[in-house]
Amino acid sequence: MSAPTGRGSDARSGPGGAPVPRIDAYEKVTGATRYAADRTPPGLAHAALAVATVGRGRVARVETAAARAVAGVLLVVTRFEEHELRPAGYRLSGGYGFQSLQPLLDDRIAYRGQPIALVVAETPVAAAEAAALVEARYEAAPAVAVTLDAAGAETVGQAAALPQPMFADLAMGDADAAFARSPVRLDAEYDIGAQHQVPMELLGTVVEWRGDDLVVHECTQNSGAVRHGLARQLGIAPARVRVVSPQVGGGFGQKTWLQSHVGPLAVAARRLGRPVKLVVDRTQTFHGSTFRPASRHRLRLGADRSGLLTALVHETRQQTSRHDLFASDFTSVTARLYGIGDFRGHQRLTRTDVQTPGFMRAPFEHAAVFALESAVDEIACATGHDPVALRLANDTGSDPVTGRPFSSRHLAACLRRGAELFGWAARTPRPGSMRAADGTLVGWGVAAGAYRASAGPAVARLRLAADGRIAVEVSGHEMGQGLRTAIARTVALDLGISAGGVRVGVGDTGEVPQHLTAGSWGTATALPAVHAALRRLRSCLGAPDEGPLDTVAAAAERAAAGRPEAVVEAVSLPPGQSARAVDRLRAGLPTPAGPEYPGFSAFSFIAHFVEVRVEPAIGRVRVPRVVSVVDCGRVASPVTAAGQIRGGVVWGIGAALRERGEPEPRHGGFHHADLAEYLVPVNADVGRVDVDFVDVPDPLVNPLGVKGCGEVALVGVAPAIANAIHHATGRRHRALPIRVEDVLAPEDDRNGNCP
Amino acid sequence: MTDTATRPEHGPSAGDPLEVAFAVNGTAVRAAVDVRESLLDVLRERLALTGAKKGCDHGQCGTCTVLVDGRRVLACLTLAVQARGRAVTTVEGLAAPDGTPHPLQQAFIDHDALQCGYCTPGQIMSALACVAEGHAGDDEEIREYLSGNLCRCGAYPGIVAAVRDYADSARSTEG
Ligand code: FES
Ligand code: FES
Repeated sequence: MSAPTGRGSDARSGPGGAPVPRIDAYEKVTGATRYAADRTPPGLAHAALAVATVGRGRVARVETAAARAVAGVLLVVTRFEEHELRPAGYRLSGGYGFQSLQPLLDDRIAYRGQPIALVVAETPVAAAEAAALVEARYEAAPAVAVTLDAAGAETVGQAAALPQPMFADLAMGDADAAFARSPVRLDAEYDIGAQHQVPMELLGTVVEWRGDDLVVHECTQNSGAVRHGLARQLGIAPARVRVVSPQVGGGFGQKTWLQSHVGPLAVAARRLGRPVKLVVDRTQTFHGSTFRPASRHRLRLGADRSGLLTALVHETRQQTSRHDLFASDFTSVTARLYGIGDFRGHQRLTRTDVQTPGFMRAPFEHAAVFALESAVDEIACATGHDPVALRLANDTGSDPVTGRPFSSRHLAACLRRGAELFGWAARTPRPGSMRAADGTLVGWGVAAGAYRASAGPAVARLRLAADGRIAVEVSGHEMGQGLRTAIARTVALDLGISAGGVRVGVGDTGEVPQHLTAGSWGTATALPAVHAALRRLRSCLGAPDEGPLDTVAAAAERAAAGRPEAVVEAVSLPPGQSARAVDRLRAGLPTPAGPEYPGFSAFSFIAHFVEVRVEPAIGRVRVPRVVSVVDCGRVASPVTAAGQIRGGVVWGIGAALRERGEPEPRHGGFHHADLAEYLVPVNADVGRVDVDFVDVPDPLVNPLGVKGCGEVALVGVAPAIANAIHHATGRRHRALPIRVEDVLAPEDDRNGNCP
Repeated sequence: MTDTATRPEHGPSAGDPLEVAFAVNGTAVRAAVDVRESLLDVLRERLALTGAKKGCDHGQCGTCTVLVDGRRVLACLTLAVQARGRAVTTVEGLAAPDGTPHPLQQAFIDHDALQCGYCTPGQIMSALACVAEGHAGDDEEIREYLSGNLCRCGAYPGIVAAVRDYADSARSTEG
């Protein structure tokens, strides 16, 4: 079966760099793509989990007789033996798990939703029925703490609790004194609720023993950590474990580390001598993996009358679990978004009775920049300056934290171009001054964003097949961000061939070492390795270092000379990293460098312009249009990068107006643990989203000039929406999400200080 | 079998296989199913048709959307036995035998109406029905009638453009 691609794809990509359609779109629209849970090896058995219904305590007794009596049930396990399953360790302590706690090893219950039994049966229905029949008696703790303010929640200073340089509090100048001196001062608190990643693909795993070798099809952004974590858990050599994750149905940070159910599943499969599949129930995913923890931010932002920002104090508190410290990093972006010389940050963590929270798209920047960009908007109002002009006036060429230059920083271009595309000049500044014909309040808001340009080591292997096609295997995972397309386009542009002639393999530990693909470093990490491998391939073929290369002729020539297919491998490192980073990559450990590199700092930047419509009578907020302009260096793949930015904007709409994981204060866990209650944006919530790129290569981060774009896309959307609501209604909102009841709530003294 | 006496009169009980026959993508199939089994699980786990996806198993996301006798249904909320004697269409049944994609599939490719692709089969099946139902008159109507299909990647703008493109060309070929 041929695989036609999109219109225009037949045009060979020229050196000008024509956009390439998503290379796996055809298989995705025809249903041919295989995600982890789409595997159905012969003899497959199906698993389900029973989970704790108390928020903290211990399991006194688990009753499994009824579950075992269900027809088709093969296995019910409530406790694994220490010799067959060990903890994988917490990722911040050199381990591989998203949390230190491995369920089913002892009687501790640390959070509601923690697995208490694993059931395996012939069919998914039988497994689900049996899991529902597992009954437990608990000795529950008298109270649980699941919110930042709960009695019993314990707050610690992050720098003191985690005495490593990367967690230290940032300080430049004397921010408190500078704030006290500032003629214009804002002191405000911002509240961001917990959020869940909810990729549409459920957590899904198929484990299969082939003799002593374990093959795991797992939806993960980090197959290397899953491999090494499982090896540690099972006491076997990592070489015996192969983890395959070529296509992930959305990750957004949920699938970054070893999940707690995978080890138990592997043991169950070994006991049964059959492959086993687990598709985690949607409700259980709200407790069975990480989430974006709730956070609170106190900002003291000072300015002079001309609107120049003079001081910023950013104090934060973020939720973590009782058993792990999920470190925060809110201040490294707020310290750098503008040229504020006097800055002080202080970050604290609050231990609560939840599974360990973790990364979710723009894990710290979304919340931190919501606070800062809301505050900056207030300063613009207070000093009577246009919010775009004020941001331009506070731009900086050098990193206020290090004093060194940014590798590239085109935030001003983003703001200017965005303002032009949006038609910002037609905005009248007074809140409530713009109305649609039907009486709806119109608000226009702007906000900027930044996200660190990280990168790590990667390995790429290129093979020139006999038919002249190129096959690439590289460190990285495809979660929909378009990594495979960016790789194919890079190869196609380099060799002057069609992207359709490039086969891209990612996410398979059986091929090359696999890194954690997250933090917007995937493309900037994989492409330099591909670039280096291309140089090797050219030299291996005796071809010049650049210019078009006829791969079909080159392959035929080799074949005629009786030589084997050309296979080359290359390793790439980001600036300043040593080969030790490659050892860490091979051990499944995190490796990325940045944002500080020798001699410079690197960030991606964005500006969002948002129009909201607010219906005054019912408080409903709609977002009919957004314009976003991005500086992510050279755009490696225009089609998929634009999709990333649009997706980030949709995420921002959800974060600003809909999503909040509501903790259940008495029994623990989250209330709204399904897709009907946890409200992600639907099609009708999203209007027009226009995306543009500055598209200037970064001269320092890597030979391709590429910075990341998937995370920065979200940064600043929520404050742009909140600022637009303020422009429409005159009301400031300092907590997310902003719901109808917040828009309609009676005025209070926390309102903005704009006339 | 001693337990038949205790069995209720009105039909087979949970766990017992029941033979059902229906058509999938134009091919007759027979499967021995558990009466509690969803059409989704039968398609995916017994018939190796994994195009329809499980995103919630509760009728809340639309990733499992298939057509039954031309109407869109959520396969996770449809018992397999309800498909008896009916014609089921899944995303695997849309392309031509030579692999040429259905015009709506092509429109999804052209407008990059996807990212991870997990919701895509459901979006496409739903959109086919949406157009056939006459609910693709303008962008707003398309958005409304496709709002039962969640896309966490946020590919909505591309999805709307693809469906409008397909609906327009479908209308002009009819007209
Ligand atoms: S899986 Fe059927 S609606 Fe979600
Ligand atoms: S394309 Fe990923 S959920 Fe829609």
